[in-house]
Amino acid sequence: MVVDKSIFDIFDMVGKHLVRQGLNTSHSGNISIRSGGKIIIKRRTGMLGNLKPEDLVETSLEEEDSGSLIASTELGVHRAIYLQTDAMAVIHAHVPYCVALSLIEDEITCIDAEGFALYKKIPIIDVEIPAGAYYTSIEVPKVLKNYPFVVVRGHGIFAKGMTLEDALQYVTGAEQSAHIRYLTLLTEKPLKRDFSKEKDFSSW
Amino acid sequence: MKGMNNSLLEINLSKQEVNDLPLSDEILNDYIGGRGLGVKLFTDRIAPQVDALSPENVMIFTTGPFGGTSIPTNGRFSLVTKSPLTHGIFYSNSGGFFAPVMKKCGFDGILIEGTLKQPGYILINGDEGATIKDASSIWGLDTEQTLRKLKEVEGDKIHVLSIGPAGENLVKIAAIMNDADRAFGRGGVGAVMGSKKLKAIVVKGGSKKTEVNDPELLKKFVKVAMDKIKVVPITRISLPKMGTAALVNVINTLGMLPINNFQKGYDERAAQVSGEAIEKQILQKDEGCFACPIRCGRMTKAGDMEGKGPEYESVWALGPNLGIYDLITVTQANYLCNKLGIDTISCGGSIACGMELQEKGLLKDNDLKFGNAAILKELVKKIAEKEGIGAELSEGSAYLAKKYGTPDSAIHVKGLELPAYDPRGAVGHALGYATSTRGGCHLTGYLASLEIFAAPKKIDRFTIAGKPDLLALKQNQKATEDSLVICAFAGWALGLDYYARLLRAITGIEYDVMELTKIGERIYTLERLFNLREGIGKEADTLPPRFLNEPLKEGFSKDNVVPLQKMLDQYYYVRGWDENGVPKPDKIKQLGIEFS
Repeated sequence: MVVDKSIFDIFDMVGKHLVRQGLNTSHSGNISIRSGGKIIIKRRTGMLGNLKPEDLVETSLEEEDSGSLIASTELGVHRAIYLQTDAMAVIHAHVPYCVALSLIEDEITCIDAEGFALYKKIPIIDVEIPAGAYYTSIEVPKVLKNYPFVVVRGHGIFAKGMTLEDALQYVTGAEQSAHIRYLTLLTEKPLKRDFSKEKDFSSW
Repeated sequence: MKGMNNSLLEINLSKQEVNDLPLSDEILNDYIGGRGLGVKLFTDRIAPQVDALSPENVMIFTTGPFGGTSIPTNGRFSLVTKSPLTHGIFYSNSGGFFAPVMKKCGFDGILIEGTLKQPGYILINGDEGATIKDASSIWGLDTEQTLRKLKEVEGDKIHVLSIGPAGENLVKIAAIMNDADRAFGRGGVGAVMGSKKLKAIVVKGGSKKTEVNDPELLKKFVKVAMDKIKVVPITRISLPKMGTAALVNVINTLGMLPINNFQKGYDERAAQVSGEAIEKQILQKDEGCFACPIRCGRMTKAGDMEGKGPEYESVWALGPNLGIYDLITVTQANYLCNKLGIDTISCGGSIACGMELQEKGLLKDNDLKFGNAAILKELVKKIAEKEGIGAELSEGSAYLAKKYGTPDSAIHVKGLELPAYDPRGAVGHALGYATSTRGGCHLTGYLASLEIFAAPKKIDRFTIAGKPDLLALKQNQKATEDSLVICAFAGWALGLDYYARLLRAITGIEYDVMELTKIGERIYTLERLFNLREGIGKEADTLPPRFLNEPLKEGFSKDNVVPLQKMLDQYYYVRGWDENGVPKPDKIKQLGIEFS
């Protein structure tokens, strides 16, 4: 099955962006959309930064089919997200600063103005075996019901969106907030202004 | 359920009986309030194939758990009834101040059935309950006169739903006016009220407060929501500054502002009736509904007349779609529609259809031609009075075009005239028109928000990939928003992720986006099942042929038609409906719907 050019173009754009920005390695990460009641997802081993039309696979939303044979290893997570949330697109990326902070914190607080206004906080979850779909497919959708993204400790981020571009903004935005927090932590100096202290989002 | 009174006012006009109808937590959990509650009660109660203008039709006005709280834009409420224009289920939505007062009187809504022998009005008087009163002295008055007269009788601190002469005369495009200048506009709901000889519903007083489970949490979440409304440009600047007519220039630039009954998509003269023109030439002040920080309402003065509006859809329907670009005339025609109780969109759509018939030589009326502003106000009056050509126009465009042998000249879906976005310029939005349960409506899924306004993200307006999925999701979520009830314009800044948290603070029940979306799907599917029972199915899920076969010739939407069939097949599949658009038994079971 070869997907429409318009669909391929958006996968190609988002894939290149993720790799060029250092948010995935040459072969890591996966992206998908929901279309026509099915999932279109990057195939296994396809390179996000160098996608070909045949690297996109259409597969069932609800059950295993022949598309499952060649789809991304994390197809099960994508399926679970689509079935349990309002996601129309999903991105999984191995964002380094989010992953680094996830190894030392339980929740990434957005201390910068942009991150605080748009995202408030970045939830982190622990999963017994982070890579592969089984455990993440159980835990990730629970959080994505109420948040646009979640970081799996030591592994990477899953973000949902109405479109791939929408999900991409969540991935890059979360990573930027994490990056800023990481840099300020390095200085070991007190913050002159901490936006996260200005409103209470503990119950959000 | 906290946030609701768990009580509806049930009125049988034929028997002159007024009762309290208790609402169970079960029904509120499954349908929330507003549109959902109305749809559930309506479909439970009404028999198959009831004539919309008969005593057996039911009208249900409902508010929701957000109503009467501090949540921004919560002053709205819903009406569900059967439409004399579409012959299907019809939901409508209005703002103003009526709903919070109704809720303070202890009622989540009003269910009305039967017919009065003589004209009457309903008075809901604070905690004293409701009575039916004689309306012979106000029957025949326009909506402004009615409001004034009722204030003389019932006091200044009242809010009033009323019909004008159009509703009394059973005009199929009649509206119910809300304090004379807001409306339950579409679908001929004013005629339903007229058929019941019900001139008005008046509310005043009341002391009940909306019970909130966690007031402190609600306060926190409301602050977050208000902050977001204040930073999003559309809710912070565009709507407060220019009202909804800010859209005129945007849509015209994209080549999808319907001109002369959707024969073109662009005309440079449209700037003469734009939001900017309104602001410079006729705006007196802005105005907002209860608890609304956006304040999109326009109080205006046009020539020797004053009033509210025009809104985007109204200024287009009575302006560019008729080839008319005289702002004063268009605004005065809008005032007249409000006074006489007529839906501006369907009024303009019917007149535009008549003008196209005249252009084709089928309708012999030399004055009824595109661009003839001189006849507009008189035509509106003739429609309300069903006088001369007005009698034919009052039946709506589908009737008119069919009568003159060219049904394709009527720009409608399921009998309801289309609003101000040419579907050839946004194909997802087009699918929304075709599949809306209430007919040619732009608000049911409103993919224009993504395809045109990039809110929250831009998607290509001509590609079909993913559109059926996205539309079904947005239609479901809109049904939920209409059940909470909250204004669509808050949706420019907020969304179900905010609403789930707000609802949790009010009710104490844990909600998430997906659960609310499923409630919306339940509502939408039940509406579909009702329409199927009434004989409105797949054949009605279509668009006027010109959108499928005739590309626009100029502007940024030229050379495009709507690839409807491919999207429609996918849409049915996504929804769990069969190839004929009938919800499958397992989908009905999954949603917990009982309907036959």
